[in-house]
Amino acid sequence: MRALIALPVVLPLLAAGVSLALHRRPAVQRALSVVVLGATLVASVALLVTVERSGVAAVQVGGWPAPIGITLVADLFAAIMLVISTVMVLAVLVYAIGHPRTRDHGLFFHPLYLILATGVAASFLTGDLFNLFVAFEVTLGASYVLITLGGSRDQVRSGMTYVVINLLASTLFVTAVGLVYAATGTVNMADLAGRVAELPAGVRQALGLLLLVVFGVKAAIFPLFFWLPDSYPTAPAPVTAIFAGLLTKVGVYAIIRTQTLLFPTDGSPSTLLLAIAGGTMVVGVLGAIAQNDVKRILSFHIISQIGYMVLGLGLFTVAGVAGAIFYIVHHIVVKTTLFLVGGLVEQSTGTGALSRLGGLLHRAPVVAGLFLLPALSLAGLPPFSGFVAKLALVQAGLAVEAHTIVAISLLVSLLTLFSMTKIWAGVFWGAPEEVPPLEAAAGDGRLSSPALMVAPTAALVVLSLVIAVAAAPLWDLSERAAATLVDPAPYVEAVLP
Amino acid sequence: MLALLLALHAVLALAAPALGRRLGPRVFLVCALAPGATAAWAATQAAGVLDGSATTQVLPWVPGLGLDLALRLDGFALLMVALVSGIGAVLFAYSRWYFSPRPGLGRFAGVLTAFAGSMLGVVLADNLLLIYVFWELTSITSYLLIGFEDEKGSARAAALQAILVTGAGGLAMLAGFVIVGQAAGTYSLSGILADPPGGGVVGAGLVLVLVGACTKSAQVPFHFWLPAAMAAPTPVSAYLHSATLVKAGVYLIARFAPAFAAGHAFWRPLVMGLGVATMLLGGWRALRQHDLKLLLAYGTVSQLGFMVVLVGAGIPELTFAGAALIVAHGLFKAALFMVVGIVDHQAHTRDLRVLSGLGRRMPGVAAVAAVAAASMAGVPLLLGFLSKEAAYEGLLHAHLGVGGSLALAGVVVGSVLTFAYGARFVLGGFGAGFGESAGGGDPVGPDVARPAPAFVVPAALFAVLTVVAGVAPALVDPLVGGGAGALDAAAGKAHLALWHGFTPALGLSVLTLAAGALLVAGAGTVERVQARLAGAPSAAGVYSSALVGLNRLADRVTAVLQNGSLPVYLGVILLTVLALPGLALLTRTRLPGGVVVGESPLQVVVAGVVLAAAVGAAFARRRFAAVLFLGGVGYGVAVLFVIQGAPDLALTQLLVETLAVVIFVLVLRHLPERFEPSAWRLGQATRVAVAGGVGVFVAAFSLVAAGARTAEPVSGAYLEQAVPEAGGQNVVNVILVDFRAFDTLGEITVLTVAALGIVSLVQAGRRQQDEA
Repeated sequence: MRALIALPVVLPLLAAGVSLALHRRPAVQRALSVVVLGATLVASVALLVTVERSGVAAVQVGGWPAPIGITLVADLFAAIMLVISTVMVLAVLVYAIGHPRTRDHGLFFHPLYLILATGVAASFLTGDLFNLFVAFEVTLGASYVLITLGGSRDQVRSGMTYVVINLLASTLFVTAVGLVYAATGTVNMADLAGRVAELPAGVRQALGLLLLVVFGVKAAIFPLFFWLPDSYPTAPAPVTAIFAGLLTKVGVYAIIRTQTLLFPTDGSPSTLLLAIAGGTMVVGVLGAIAQNDVKRILSFHIISQIGYMVLGLGLFTVAGVAGAIFYIVHHIVVKTTLFLVGGLVEQSTGTGALSRLGGLLHRAPVVAGLFLLPALSLAGLPPFSGFVAKLALVQAGLAVEAHTIVAISLLVSLLTLFSMTKIWAGVFWGAPEEVPPLEAAAGDGRLSSPALMVAPTAALVVLSLVIAVAAAPLWDLSERAAATLVDPAPYVEAVLP
Repeated sequence: MLALLLALHAVLALAAPALGRRLGPRVFLVCALAPGATAAWAATQAAGVLDGSATTQVLPWVPGLGLDLALRLDGFALLMVALVSGIGAVLFAYSRWYFSPRPGLGRFAGVLTAFAGSMLGVVLADNLLLIYVFWELTSITSYLLIGFEDEKGSARAAALQAILVTGAGGLAMLAGFVIVGQAAGTYSLSGILADPPGGGVVGAGLVLVLVGACTKSAQVPFHFWLPAAMAAPTPVSAYLHSATLVKAGVYLIARFAPAFAAGHAFWRPLVMGLGVATMLLGGWRALRQHDLKLLLAYGTVSQLGFMVVLVGAGIPELTFAGAALIVAHGLFKAALFMVVGIVDHQAHTRDLRVLSGLGRRMPGVAAVAAVAAASMAGVPLLLGFLSKEAAYEGLLHAHLGVGGSLALAGVVVGSVLTFAYGARFVLGGFGAGFGESAGGGDPVGPDVARPAPAFVVPAALFAVLTVVAGVAPALVDPLVGGGAGALDAAAGKAHLALWHGFTPALGLSVLTLAAGALLVAGAGTVERVQARLAGAPSAAGVYSSALVGLNRLADRVTAVLQNGSLPVYLGVILLTVLALPGLALLTRTRLPGGVVVGESPLQVVVAGVVLAAAVGAAFARRRFAAVLFLGGVGYGVAVLFVIQGAPDLALTQLLVETLAVVIFVLVLRHLPERFEPSAWRLGQATRVAVAGGVGVFVAAFSLVAAGARTAEPVSGAYLEQAVPEAGGQNVVNVILVDFRAFDTLGEITVLTVAALGIVSLVQAGRRQQDEA
């Protein structure tokens, strides 16, 4: 039971070390990554089942009782995030193994990828604010290297933006942790839940807002998002896909965790968060509309959709937070898939620019299908997972009469659909003759992609369909997870018995 | 069974692409199984359902969100199924002849089948949210079908227009559904209609629902997408854009009106007003078209307006007339579209200025067209006449005051226009030219190849049905009566009749035919008036300028926000720090009393040096000087650590600072000596202000935070337990390697990663040098 909580962190970290030693044997290195991340997935699922059955679980690292040592905590929210992110990590790993650009950089890719998985898992599981900072650093450190993997001029330039912005955010983060400690004398989050509540309202608010800004940079909310579209698109496709699926969501996770556990409202919606949500949605989608490149359009959509997650949190009801959780799960799957499809398009045609693409529906119908379903889901169209997520948020919003933000969210989903049709019409429709001939084309004009890239993409498309069809259990789970977030007594009790 | 039929559609839709490669156009016959089976099964249920009982099936989907797969076949649903699946099956058979073998046909057949299933879902769904699900599925499939000939830019644009307009309406409708559902405490359609919720919020919800219905059913001002959708292959136009999809909005209004029309003052003026406006606008525009298909499209807009007037009133007689019109329209309009398809397929044009003498070449097709158009125009002995009579009758007795009279007048004028464009269709398409054939190109007609008989049979079938039902109303009366009765029990009592006696309604029918004939005779004048009014602003124009505006807005906003400047990005983040937590700190906290400025004069002096160095770094124009100032700041802080009694910290700080300066100096060799002057001058004041502000913020926050502490810090426990529990004399070391060893593990990992990163970049740099 205790080991289960630590396994998702420990397994990939140990494997990263071994992987580094194996860099001369790429085949073994690949097999190791697949096996270990597979095992991590099993452990994560087991953890989810355990937490679902017997409530919040906690382990005191090194046997030092909280708040002296560091605590790892798995509540339903953390366990759900862990499972879905591990599925992504595994799927993208397989894709990456099939992808030529990462195959060339095996020495760095596999160990760093495993460290990235470690950092993400640690971010979800840690119950300690400073340790969250460390987990972020581990994740970011790996991401700095992965984003510049291959080291082309463009990558280094955009990687620079990414690194500098994140260094500033990290500086602010460690400052915030220091200030939190100064005010409360602890960094254990369960302990903080009680102590922050005793602080004068002004100090509490200032601390809450500072952490919101810190995590807001990671989550790419308005107005702190600019680094994302500038840096994501240049990385190799699998790297962009896993970043797009997971990294901003780690930020959102931290926002939800800290805002519900440490800085809850008095039960009424947070006007500030709703305003941020609206701004994030609108600016993100406008950015997407303005782009003419598949990866850049998709990158701006990440921002827009972070807004929906913040919307759910900002309502501060069980239904709202549950909607946010459901939305996150859906979004992680769908967004990762879309970037993988973007990678398939680039891999088979050599470009992601809409102006140079066209008619892929006729030359690569499978890729077209793999794009269409998650794209419609992303726009929140039924009967896909995005619809269930959007429906949950609309219901939650209207239940507390947050009409404005619901209206904005619906308008934005229309604009999302608009920009998705732009990709569809630009890449998949159109006369094939208009497009310059490509080397990758086979004799019959059809384009092919490596099976190792297509298979995980297809698997994720199926997963997103399953999320829609079997939405009931996930929704129930999200509701229960949200209940523990809105009333965190079980969380605190598990850490500080 | 209901769910099974939907599943059959899904299975065939998925199988169609593969089947299409083997079967070619015959794949449509396989796909016809789905609507065919549905229609056949519905026929077996007809007796019971039309008597007022309903077949239901409920499968849970997401009960927590009120979303269930609740299906219900009642009388009105049956009437709609007759259209969706009955007409659908015939249109699939027609498609087998319309299409020549071509790649992608299987995919097309699959999407068409998916549409048939979605549309079936819309009319069977008994859960508001489920209606929305199927509703949007029809939008998606419609998008793909309109854009089938995707190499044509016009088809792509029309597809986009259709999905944006109906998608926007759909989203409004979703919000409306949730509002109505939350007010009612259920999303069950039959539950809500049986016990309709009241109140102002519900009114707002209903308006949103109506927006959705009006976009789908092409009501003014959303009508423009429908004519543009004619870019789709003709079977799609016949099936989606006349018989089924566009009736979804009518369907919804028909369901809601009996429950809500009387209770909400806005309902009748709004719904009937829009309907009349749509009927008139569509009819008027139809008179201007030269493309037979566009003519029919505007005719459909007009007829949809007519239907909305009738079913939207929520008055039993009109509901009955509306149900009759839905059936009549389904038959005659599908026949007319199929006729257009035949003409297009054989003559390769649909321009009535070019077509000439086609009637003599294919008299059978011409006869079908004439019967269908006459039914549309309300000529006696045809089904269309019966529905129009019922409509006139109902409007004459509706007791709706001035509004009712206006609606009647509008419907009569609309019907006159209908007669005129119906005649224009027949005479223009099959006559010896329609007065205006000066339009360029040689006339096409006498030498056109005759269509295969099987190609004409489906259209002929509908024409025959139109006649049979028109002569023997008793045949169709149960369907219409049962359908209307499911909407409103009182509406089920009305009956279709061939002869009501010399009633005012008959008079209006005669007037309609006479005025219509006059309008046909004066076609030339109408053309001239139309031409003069052509420049008026249109809803389509508003749409395209909105689209242009949206793109421009997106470009501008993004150009401003996403300007690519790293200093700006950093500045915005820091300004956000000042604006959010900074403002809270400034307005809601105060500095604690008794702040000690310094414990020794030395501290004050060193702090002053640090500050001076920081200011120096900010204002330095040479990079080298800036680096040295930065080093000064770092060393100064190290000295402060020493004074504070933390030699280990100070040592670390010194090492880091020394390394940083050395590395900076090494890097400086590759950079210009001075900062770029332009960037320097312009932004420097702002940068210093932002940096200074954040510095003050952090300092003040530190004081406030430390001053706010009341709880015992955990460091006390560290000091107590370091020796006895952890066995270490240096508490910092114990924290790092024992209490919080997990943090240290993470930091070590970060260092490893950093090392890997350096190797990676160096290797990449070497590789690029090698390549260069």
